[in-house]
Amino acid sequence: MLAVRTVLAIAMAVCGGVVIVRVAALGFRVESAPGLILGIAMIALGVHRLSLIAGIRRGMTR
Amino acid sequence: MASTSKPQLRRSVTPWGSFSWGYSDVGADIFVGLGLVLAAAAGASNVAFLFAGIVYVCIGLAYTELAATYPVAGGGQYFVMRGLGDVFGFIAGWAVLLDFTIDITLFAWTCVDYSSQLLPVLTGSIHPWVHFLVTLTLIVGLIGLNVIGVRESTAFNGIVSALDVVSETCILCFGFLFAFRPHLLVHTMQMSWPSPYQLMLGTSLAIISFVGLESISQAAQETQRPASVIPRTSIALILTILIFALAYSNLALGMQPWHPITDAAGHPVQFWQIFPNNGDNQGKAVALLASQVPYFGAIAAFYVPILGAVLLLISSNSGVFGSSRIAYAMSSSNLLPSIFQRVHAKFRTPAISIVTFGGIAILELLFAAFPSLHPGAMTIYARFFRNETGLDFLADLYAFGAATSYSFVFLALIALRLKDPLSPRKFKIPFNLPVRVGGEDAEFPIVAVIGFVGIVSILVFTLFTHPIGRIAGPTWLVLGILAYFVYRRHRGLPMFGSQKHEWRKAQVEILRNAGELELMDEYVANVKASDERRAKAAT
Repeated sequence: MLAVRTVLAIAMAVCGGVVIVRVAALGFRVESAPGLILGIAMIALGVHRLSLIAGIRRGMTR
Repeated sequence: MASTSKPQLRRSVTPWGSFSWGYSDVGADIFVGLGLVLAAAAGASNVAFLFAGIVYVCIGLAYTELAATYPVAGGGQYFVMRGLGDVFGFIAGWAVLLDFTIDITLFAWTCVDYSSQLLPVLTGSIHPWVHFLVTLTLIVGLIGLNVIGVRESTAFNGIVSALDVVSETCILCFGFLFAFRPHLLVHTMQMSWPSPYQLMLGTSLAIISFVGLESISQAAQETQRPASVIPRTSIALILTILIFALAYSNLALGMQPWHPITDAAGHPVQFWQIFPNNGDNQGKAVALLASQVPYFGAIAAFYVPILGAVLLLISSNSGVFGSSRIAYAMSSSNLLPSIFQRVHAKFRTPAISIVTFGGIAILELLFAAFPSLHPGAMTIYARFFRNETGLDFLADLYAFGAATSYSFVFLALIALRLKDPLSPRKFKIPFNLPVRVGGEDAEFPIVAVIGFVGIVSILVFTLFTHPIGRIAGPTWLVLGILAYFVYRRHRGLPMFGSQKHEWRKAQVEILRNAGELELMDEYVANVKASDERRAKAAT
């Protein structure tokens, strides 16, 4: 289960990266701002989930 | 031997339970907010969601810190009372009560709207009486269930939340993979950019997509190890809701509908153009968007209206439950008459609170639905409220109540950082300025100032752009404050000042009851060291 959650968290962060790259390709302007923040939020959620999973793993191996 | 201790709420809410309590409340908001914002802000809907979303992140962080530091039922009202005093605690609690009563009506109303996607007989514009009677029945039914003490379980919330997260993720994945056109999004934003007035209106409506974080802090007293669990679940919830709101608004503006959509004259239109001046569509935006997503829309068209209706009904129920809890907590703090603490002899529920605030929700429903039931009343609404009825009326008041209570929560956070630096904060909002207050080291939260400016600007937008919010919202507050003064005078309590509170003793009790014994020891040690420093300074 933890492995599935890790894969989902990584997928979320990667999707966030893809969103940023695709939006950035349109140029940095007002129209890009919501997309850029969306990408950043996706990466942040992925990293947050990964940090929680890492915390659980540390607890399991201790 | 009979126990003389006060009964405590059982701590049975797990991390997933805490997330799903919050999600079942906040997650339903996008089902209501999306259509309203698309109708108001047109090509800048995603910008409206972005602005409201940034303010919401600040609000979420503030609630996370406060709920983890003071894990008690009562939420915003308790934090404001503790930070700013009784009067402001009452105003914040009264504004939250307005929101909860609106929550009951608004979500029951949109629950019927979503159901109308599968049952056309429930369509408000075609059968207003049926729509009104079904909404009324739902509200009365929820009041009845809450009086006899039946409410949804954490497990039920968890299942519905999980289904909804998976469903919304699928809609967005399929939507972005097969229907999203980045250049169409840019074109829409450039060609359909709204006027400043419409953008302000849209932004003030976008905040209603982020209301409900109260739930996590309200459930804090029932959460296991709240100081550790609440920050984890809150941050996941804040980011999840922000992602959904931004993703839906971007997709709605830049999607190529699966089936061509045409206007009354037969001309093709973009997806977002079906919302302006169409209350029926505004009330079921997510279901309409899901049905236009290629491939997945074939299944989503059938189950998303049902899932949305269930989630909205849970949210409506949390309004009935939450209003009675807040009234109970305010009454316990002598901010409301003790009648709101009375429990039903047989069912052991705060029946008077439930019926009173449920009754106010029904009055709000009557006011919102009246012009559609009696077209003659439309002239009055047109003259005084710029034709604002139905969903617009409910959304106006919802935005007003949320913006008012959140403004006070930011002020309470700043005040508590300065007045109570000794309480251990397991989660602290980043970006702080070190300051020294009353001989103690404290940290001034810069994010709270940014959030306060943001939410006050949304409050100003609400007052500027919503005729009903401008009149009914402040009237609710003024009537409440007058009643508060009468009550406090009658009880011989200070009207403008606060009662004497033993906050240090209360904090030790709170942390002990929360099972946060390490934090309790840390707090006691901090207090002792502070007292010793003061005694040394005095000699």
